[in-house]
Amino acid sequence: MRALLFLIRKNLKNIIKSAFKKPLVLIGYIVALLFIIGMIFAAFAMPSGLVRTSSPELFKGIMMLVFTFLYYTSLKLGVEKGSSFFRMADVNMVFTSPLRPNKILVYGIIKQLGGTLLLVVLALFQIPNLKNNFAFEPHGVPVLLLSVVAYTLAYPLISMVIYSWTSASKERKKLMKRIIDMAAIIVALIFLLDLSQTRNFTQSLSNVFGSPVAHYFPIIGWTGSIASSAVSDFNTSFYVGATGMLIVIAGLSLLLYKMKLDYYEDVLAATEYAEAVIKAKREGRNMTFNLRTRKNIRNGFSGVGAKALFAKNMLEIRKSSMFLLFDRMSVSVILSAIMFKLVMPSETTDLSMLMILAFSSYMLLLIQSQGRWAVEVEKPFIFLIPASPYEKLFYASLSDHVKNLFDGIVLFTLSGILFGADVPTILMSALSYTCFGAVFMYSDVLARRLFGRVHSKGLMIFVKIILSIVLIVPGIIAAVIAGIATESEFLIIGALGAWAFVLAITLFIFSGGIFNNVEAAS
Amino acid sequence: MLKVKNLSKRFDKVQAVDGVSFEVMPGEIAVLLGPNGAGKSTTIKSIAGLLRFEGQILINNIGNKEVEAKRAFGYIPESPAFYENLNVWEHLEFIARAYSLKDWQDTANQLLARFDMDDKKEKLGKELSKGMQQKLSICCALLINPRMIMFDEPMMGLDPKAIKELKSIFMELKKSGCAVLISTHIIDSIDEVWDKVLIMNKGRIVLIRTRNELNKKGESLERIFFKATDSKREGKK
Repeated sequence: MRALLFLIRKNLKNIIKSAFKKPLVLIGYIVALLFIIGMIFAAFAMPSGLVRTSSPELFKGIMMLVFTFLYYTSLKLGVEKGSSFFRMADVNMVFTSPLRPNKILVYGIIKQLGGTLLLVVLALFQIPNLKNNFAFEPHGVPVLLLSVVAYTLAYPLISMVIYSWTSASKERKKLMKRIIDMAAIIVALIFLLDLSQTRNFTQSLSNVFGSPVAHYFPIIGWTGSIASSAVSDFNTSFYVGATGMLIVIAGLSLLLYKMKLDYYEDVLAATEYAEAVIKAKREGRNMTFNLRTRKNIRNGFSGVGAKALFAKNMLEIRKSSMFLLFDRMSVSVILSAIMFKLVMPSETTDLSMLMILAFSSYMLLLIQSQGRWAVEVEKPFIFLIPASPYEKLFYASLSDHVKNLFDGIVLFTLSGILFGADVPTILMSALSYTCFGAVFMYSDVLARRLFGRVHSKGLMIFVKIILSIVLIVPGIIAAVIAGIATESEFLIIGALGAWAFVLAITLFIFSGGIFNNVEAAS
Repeated sequence: MLKVKNLSKRFDKVQAVDGVSFEVMPGEIAVLLGPNGAGKSTTIKSIAGLLRFEGQILINNIGNKEVEAKRAFGYIPESPAFYENLNVWEHLEFIARAYSLKDWQDTANQLLARFDMDDKKEKLGKELSKGMQQKLSICCALLINPRMIMFDEPMMGLDPKAIKELKSIFMELKKSGCAVLISTHIIDSIDEVWDKVLIMNKGRIVLIRTRNELNKKGESLERIFFKATDSKREGKK
């Protein structure tokens, strides 16, 4: 075990040492750290339920829904690819060494604990928002974080056990997939049935996901129960949930530690997949959103020079979409934005489109893959194309703007119909959404120009989020002024969109040189 | 020494390796040849203890998944992968700790010097070129002073000097009584060093020849490889 602890210790030490070698990266880490400290302070110290106090049942419903979704997606991926704590370096150097597999598994779990930090930080980002809407108990923030830790520890263990059972045959894999899908369909049907009776989304959310049956449901319910205690006293469901999760995590670890000593084969395929995901992320792709490629899409390339990049990117987007330009990313943004509006209290009805624009842009900032320019940076072709760097950046990113405009039109047309907005507001919202997408993307490009290729994905996410938020502030001020002066939602959104447009152009000008040569991009 | 008895491995409906048996004796250099999809990688991963399989694999007469067998076994994978934030020396230190080696520093320094890596000790895993990664992978495997060593495409990415050095290392390992198994596509690269050739096709070993047997018949390695793996010829039979 000493050799494995040496690995972990040296890794950590060298990450810190290498940050000191690059002053800009160090500044990035310091800013990120200050930001996290600020978020922790805000999460713990800010008063709760001051803005409004929605019902605790709604909070419980939301938590259960979130964990149901998280477990569903991670278990489905687990059946398909397994789940791995390990990297290929571990396979080549640790698995072949004379160290016992059970010790290696403990090492993997320790590494996974480090990996949970990012998810915990992402959870921290949501806490101020939740505290604004719900009355948190003093123990609220720690128990919410505890539920996130319980989830991140439990799902790889469950995935590994399921994978080792299903990897024996395709029939088992099919059966497990069907069981998971059927369970999801049953939950969706129960919810829809309740919705047809109550005709109230938030009420049904509380009824179905906040019910005692849901709370005592093994694993998903237990994790949700821990989170739900943020807005209530420590009750039976919390103790059952916490004890249940402890037993699940300890039991599965023990099972894998004691009995299943020959797990290398199960982990191997998952590790290769995990390695491919990491490579894809570095190249700005998002493998989990592009699982299938449609091979039957054919169209000729139009345009010459840098324009050929646009044609190629559009072809790629269409190949990875379900219908036209509609893909899983579109579904995630649209569904989450509309659901957000549905659970919001009625006092915000006047500014429905603005709320949806704010939330969907926030979602875009969090889950948007880096954009197709990042894929190009990793390949030699774009540097060789005989065109100016600005032309290349413009055409390499144009497809992302078209995609965002498409998503924006679908999202705001649907929202407009649901919440009764006029056509100019719908159009302005879609355009503003596209401009925000451009701001996020070009701030990414600029961060790459400033920091170079930073291996820490977490740091890059922070830089992007912080840079984007800081830059958008003047737009928010303009929107507030427009709101006070005119009370027109169209003009508020217009002010935000106009600022985002100016910002995107400015960022574009500063980041254009990235395609000058390979050195400028690395 | 390495003994593989009746090794079979099935992935769902595909029989990747089907009843493979062979031995590599101490001081012998065996070469595993075969076209793409012949089952070489599966055989190698099984020997390295990364896959479950049917049959028996013994390293120094101990099951290959036992700790004591692993202690005697060195492995150079086809695609080396290193810890991004560990430097060259720290990788060697990890190996020394994992294999409980004592007084390993001098050997490590000598190995790095042989591969012109002695000035790269501080380089991080993520800063190494493909060739440097391959060199470090070889150094890590040799550091443990293995009694059985397996090279998967060892010449990949190496410069001419390193290739020359590696070939002389093969001969040194042979002299020291180590059993050496090399898997490669490039027949020319091992022409001077091999003692026994194992040719695989469609999951089976289709031919085993020693250098002496081949010399007696006056055949070349390349010729018997194509003869043994030519599917059209097989069809005619």
